[in-house]
Amino acid sequence: MKLGTRIGTALLGALLGALAAPALAQDKPITIGYAIARTGPWSIGAQVTQEPNYIMWAEQVNAAGGLSVGGKKRKIELIGVDDRSNMETVVRSYEKLMASDKVDLVLPPWGTGANFAVMPLAQKHGYPMLSPTATGRKLVAMKNPYFFALLQQPDRMMDALAEFMVARKVRTAAVIHVDELFGLEQFTALEASMKAKGIQILEVKSYPIGVKDLAPVLKAIQAKNPDALIALSYPPDTFLTTGQTKAIGFNPALFYAAVGTAFPFYRDKMTAATVEGVMGLGTWNPKTSAAAKGYFDRHVARWKKEPDRWASAHAWAGLQILQKAVEKAGLDRKKIRDYIAANEFDTIIGKIRFRGSENVSTPGVVSQWQNGEFEVVWPPNLATSPALHPKPRWN
Amino acid sequence: MGFWLELAASGLITGGIYAVVAIGLNLQYGLMRIMNISHGEFLMLGAYLTWLAHTTFGVNPFALMPAVAAALFLLGLVVYRFCFYRIARTAPSVEVIEARSLLVGFGLMFLVQNVVYLAWGADLRGYSYLAEPVEIAGARFMANRLAVFAFAVAASLLLLALLRWTMIGKAVRAMMQSPTGAQLVGIDTGVLHPLVFGGGLALAGVAGGLLSMVYEISPSMGEPYTITALIVITLGGLGSVGGSLIGGFILGLVEAFGMHFTSPSLKMVLSYGVLVAVLLARPRGLFSR
Amino acid sequence: MSAREQLAATLACGAVLAAAPWLLSDFLLSLALSCLMYAALAVSWAMFCGPTHYLSLATSAFFGLGAYVTAWSLESLPYGVAVLAGGLIGVAFAALIGAAVLHLRGAYFAVITFGLGELTLHLITYTEKTYFHTAGRIISDAPDNAAIYWTVLVLTLGAVATAILVRASRLGLALRGIGADEERAQTLGVDTRRVKILAFALSAFFPGALGAAMAVRWTYIEPLSVFNPFIGFQTVLMAMLGGAHTLIGPIVSAVFFSLVSEFLRLRFPYVFLLLLGLLLIALILYLPGGLASLLRRRGRADA
Repeated sequence: MKLGTRIGTALLGALLGALAAPALAQDKPITIGYAIARTGPWSIGAQVTQEPNYIMWAEQVNAAGGLSVGGKKRKIELIGVDDRSNMETVVRSYEKLMASDKVDLVLPPWGTGANFAVMPLAQKHGYPMLSPTATGRKLVAMKNPYFFALLQQPDRMMDALAEFMVARKVRTAAVIHVDELFGLEQFTALEASMKAKGIQILEVKSYPIGVKDLAPVLKAIQAKNPDALIALSYPPDTFLTTGQTKAIGFNPALFYAAVGTAFPFYRDKMTAATVEGVMGLGTWNPKTSAAAKGYFDRHVARWKKEPDRWASAHAWAGLQILQKAVEKAGLDRKKIRDYIAANEFDTIIGKIRFRGSENVSTPGVVSQWQNGEFEVVWPPNLATSPALHPKPRWN
Repeated sequence: MGFWLELAASGLITGGIYAVVAIGLNLQYGLMRIMNISHGEFLMLGAYLTWLAHTTFGVNPFALMPAVAAALFLLGLVVYRFCFYRIARTAPSVEVIEARSLLVGFGLMFLVQNVVYLAWGADLRGYSYLAEPVEIAGARFMANRLAVFAFAVAASLLLLALLRWTMIGKAVRAMMQSPTGAQLVGIDTGVLHPLVFGGGLALAGVAGGLLSMVYEISPSMGEPYTITALIVITLGGLGSVGGSLIGGFILGLVEAFGMHFTSPSLKMVLSYGVLVAVLLARPRGLFSR
Repeated sequence: MSAREQLAATLACGAVLAAAPWLLSDFLLSLALSCLMYAALAVSWAMFCGPTHYLSLATSAFFGLGAYVTAWSLESLPYGVAVLAGGLIGVAFAALIGAAVLHLRGAYFAVITFGLGELTLHLITYTEKTYFHTAGRIISDAPDNAAIYWTVLVLTLGAVATAILVRASRLGLALRGIGADEERAQTLGVDTRRVKILAFALSAFFPGALGAAMAVRWTYIEPLSVFNPFIGFQTVLMAMLGGAHTLIGPIVSAVFFSLVSEFLRLRFPYVFLLLLGLLLIALILYLPGGLASLLRRRGRADA
């Protein structure tokens, strides 16, 4: 076993060397670190919505000479590692980035849970975080001064949906939701909003993550004949609900599914004809503004795939805000935080201003698939197309 | 068709899918005591091959199943030769084979997942195939679910027939019952083991191909299916292929009826509850020999 | 080494390791924390499963329950008490399920322990949702990293010391007897059922307490992340890779595996799983006696 011993010793040596090696003193580029899921269950969302934007942004800024700091342009060096969809790995990675590597800035990880886990570190080491994929009143209630949530909070999104329903005289609804923080918070918000607006909820059912068959649940709902079916769902169940609602021939006047409807893959997999008239959580599309169109085109050119019509744009907006704040406040992270907290920013999804951790500018939006585009249909002043209501029958 | 029949059909369809996911694993475990925890990863590989061939060449996914099975079978021979052959040769006891094959399975799991991540990224993939409702006796189902169910049950029955009536099938069954006895009557494990291991992976690949017609696929999809497979084969009895088929159906039915009578929230509680209850009542599964 | 010497060595190691929070950077400290956590998990797993050849997949259930004890009680209890309570809940749960399922063997035992873990996870999800209208719990006012590190260090030392004492005791002898031939052990007058339940419950203290100790690092506790089956899988992997029948094997293996996988993850961010897989397969095929066998051979060569 001499060979084995030698290999073992060599490995150990390399390991200790690598762990102990001090970060090379490079004062030129700005180091920006993050941990994000490249493997495991979180990677699906993270690799659609978040990391492609980080990489594209760094490339674009570097191509233009770098990030302006105090009038001088400096290149960005991204340090991204895989968090393996594991909470402890997220925490350890950010401890490394913030406390040991002392990177200049960090970008947030994917998902509400991971952002919760990093928040205390961000505050302790003073790193501002603009999170595009964390949502929930509980996050905002932490009152963490370094944490900024870009997504619209559940009550805003659900209020918008209820307002649309009132405007189109939808009087009854059935709701299914996933048993997870997201599903529960959305449902609580929706229930309150519907009660306030006099919309009757005929049925509520919830299901665990990983459900493979919802047909019996949907059949029971079909028998109650509600005007609207609202699924506060995650991507796999969004696909499942769409397919099975169609299969049983259940044609509510309004069909809404939450996360995943904004993915271009939803349209590609289910076909544009099937998803015609499906509503969901969205915020923008290329018609929203010239800036949004520019972003869309660059994303397609760089990644050969479209960005999703919800949080991808929030991710980009977060990077825009960070860039602006660095230009104005330099690399002093406390000053960056104060600047973000005190100012209003122009982004591809419009003006954004924070009150505490909450983005109070971006309104709740309802989007709907029409001819292969996820059109914004509510509120009227942001709509890129009038709503198709009642939803055409499945075909 | 009445509401109850429809509910039963819904459960049976899901159950048939569970069964086909499980049978390959049971074959490997029953014959060789290889607890292949990377089963779901090879299933995922089958799903990606089907998706790739269907979306690039437009081939009918069912027509692809023999090719996917053949590809995974060959891969199985290679994996067996490089990993499990050595374990089977050097391990002093069945228990050790079980333990080491479990560990190698972890290695394979990491390996296969990473290869797929490198090749196709983490994005969800999928395609629309037979996504049309069909009506049978007044009940409506998605055509692809029905087709997948029919194919899964046919494949499982075919396998059962092979095991019962062909020479090699008899050899496999003899081997499952008494490894040394089978060797005494001249059955060559050197041939049989790689063949059955390859067969197990081929079945996993076909299961993946079938699932890709109904659900979306991603590199991390494997693990939940490995767990489903483990539940189904222990429910039915380790080493009993027929038991896996029935175990799958039972699980599907319990979920469908259970969700109706209690709440869909309790779906997972029901699945694991029935597993625990069955094992407590029958410690070696429903159809142990 | 006699048990007394082993205990002394453990204590000495502990004294050295206790200085880590003053010497190491935040990152290295949290890496050390991971090593300790997995060492304790692997040692406590091997405590019962090593000699008896049972394959338990219940570790993540004990861990998750412990984490929930912290999530439910940290507002009213001090951290140390919550950790202790987490361990005791682990013991109680293990005694309960042990009494019900320890007559199962082999893969059936493995699957049912896994199933019971998942059952617990989903029951907690359901209860939390139905009666408390929440999907997860927030932990604020977490203790600082040094306090967590020392707590986990104490638990690890406790696990190792317990393992040493069990091995040297009549309980250890009975467990080895059960592993070799349970019926024979029975005819020799060992109450095998009682012995198994006792040892299984004892070994569950540590994963329970570790879950309670580590949970404070994640701020937000939800069932899917703290009952993560991978915690249990990795524990089994490490213990078996190191040699579950040995004392030192699981410790060496847990440290080795934690460091190597972290090194690969940071050094090769896109192919580390592939490398890890290959390394794992190579180790099992060409080092069937476990990592401990490497040490032992070396020790013999030196002597």
